Amino acid sequence: MSAIDATAERQIGTGIKAFTSSNGATGKIRFLDSPEEVLDFIDGPDVENTVVISRGGTTTFMSPALMAGVAGLITLQGAPESHLGILSREFGIPCVMSTEFTEGIQTTRGETIPADGTAVRLDISGDQGLVHLVES
Amino acid sequence: MTETIDPAKYLAAFLGEVPQGEPGNAMMRDRLKVPFIDTTAENVRRDRLETDEVNSWLDYAAWNLWDFILGRASEGESGLIPRQEYETLSFVQQWNTYPKFQKMLTDELGVDGLVELAKTSTREVGTKINVTRNWAASVCPILGRGIGIELEQDSADSRREDLESIIQYGRRLQNGTWGDGPGFVSARGFKVPALDDDVLMSLVDQAKPFDDPEKLQKFRAFNARTELFGFMVHYDCRAGMADTGPYPLPDGRVAIVRDHFLNETAYPWAGVAEGMPYCVTEVLIFPADKVGLVVTEIQTTFSEPSNYLDHLEAGVVFARDRIDTPMGELRVLEEEEMDRISTRCQKGTMEMYKVLAKKSHEEKIRDGVMVYTREFLLPHAARAGVWDKFLAEGFDTLHPNTEAAWPVLTSPRAAEILTPVLLFGKGFPHVSEE
Repeated sequence: MSAIDATAERQIGTGIKAFTSSNGATGKIRFLDSPEEVLDFIDGPDVENTVVISRGGTTTFMSPALMAGVAGLITLQGAPESHLGILSREFGIPCVMSTEFTEGIQTTRGETIPADGTAVRLDISGDQGLVHLVES
Repeated sequence: MTETIDPAKYLAAFLGEVPQGEPGNAMMRDRLKVPFIDTTAENVRRDRLETDEVNSWLDYAAWNLWDFILGRASEGESGLIPRQEYETLSFVQQWNTYPKFQKMLTDELGVDGLVELAKTSTREVGTKINVTRNWAASVCPILGRGIGIELEQDSADSRREDLESIIQYGRRLQNGTWGDGPGFVSARGFKVPALDDDVLMSLVDQAKPFDDPEKLQKFRAFNARTELFGFMVHYDCRAGMADTGPYPLPDGRVAIVRDHFLNETAYPWAGVAEGMPYCVTEVLIFPADKVGLVVTEIQTTFSEPSNYLDHLEAGVVFARDRIDTPMGELRVLEEEEMDRISTRCQKGTMEMYKVLAKKSHEEKIRDGVMVYTREFLLPHAARAGVWDKFLAEGFDTLHPNTEAAWPVLTSPRAAEILTPVLLFGKGFPHVSEE
């Protein structure tokens, strides 16, 4: 049983999947924008039920989240051959890269992303990486 | 009048004309005036090159870099390590300092000795004398030449002798690994089966099937954690990992041999890896009919389907305890020690993360330049016994051109300089007839 009681879904994001898997990821969004936020996050609750968003596709920034076993990863930049793409594959954590969202809130830099706490499902089974909003 | 460039055209094909992958390699080969990307025992021993040889090499290298970088061109920023900044400064540093140090090493060993040294990549695992360095020791500094030209520090003809010596240094290493023939991995079908058969089989013969799902899971966790730690110790660059293969096996399966360098003692933060082996080497065996594998110029495996580890059938891990541990003393890691290393890597990654989070932006760039500049020459210089001489000669000192490039390459203006160099084919300008 998923951590989220899904009753309806709607696609809100499209990107490049780092690897293909029939196992997607379901969790609540958390945008991490600094090393301090990453460190605070992994010490907090529900890490394994969280889909984290980072801006770039480099791997070291997200390394604590990778090791803590987050449910999924979303990046706003990067590609499967980026370091984070490679490492998400090695850790087996679903990852959608260079994601563009059709709705959400604006970051301080004007990027559109789902607000923290939004329930989403990552689908990496097809040609693209898809992010679905899960509505309870 | 400013030239208008459509970036999409240059992302779809090199110069808007040449595709990625094997079709691109074939098209580039047809375009070259002379097949100088193929090394021969004769042509790697020359010190001076013909203009057509230099320009053919530059043309191919420009496509090769584009092909390689396209998949990660938009890798984007890191919130922890300013990698683009330190990498691009390193290219400039390498262009300005590598000729001297590559000449010192060549003088020490002779050309034959340098070629022989590069053969290490066919006989050993757990060594950074490998295919990544064959490529990086020439393409990276020559990319620095392209940046230097964009910054008006140099012109296309201003340092012809240095350009030729860097090209030949890399080609000599390539010839050591592969013998006569194509030196670039992109010209070898995107495969890196560097190990001699007897060496390979001595490793493969010790692989065990993963008939227990728990063992497989532990192996995969070990692979992921040691790889991540290797990235961290090497400042988020791929110097900490190296795959060779794919190797077709006599039983119809296929193997990848993978190095993760953990305890690199060259850096001030080496203590984070205390007690770990210098390198762990994994043998990964897959069913050939279920997974198609390629290995890139910088020794990273990609597969079709992309979830290659889901098809992993057998494997084994070896440890090379120190950089100078003889190959004959390579030892198989038992499960208990793998668990210990795996846990240590997690702890070390976190320790390093916390340190990096507190370091200044400038300090991290300087650290990164040190890593990225050392990594492509240190392994060879150390084996040849001249590394201390390199240090005494100021190997780590930033060149004035690197210092001068710093403000631009660490500013938003960097994109204006780097995008044409990396993606629009402007990084490898031709030399003129002498």
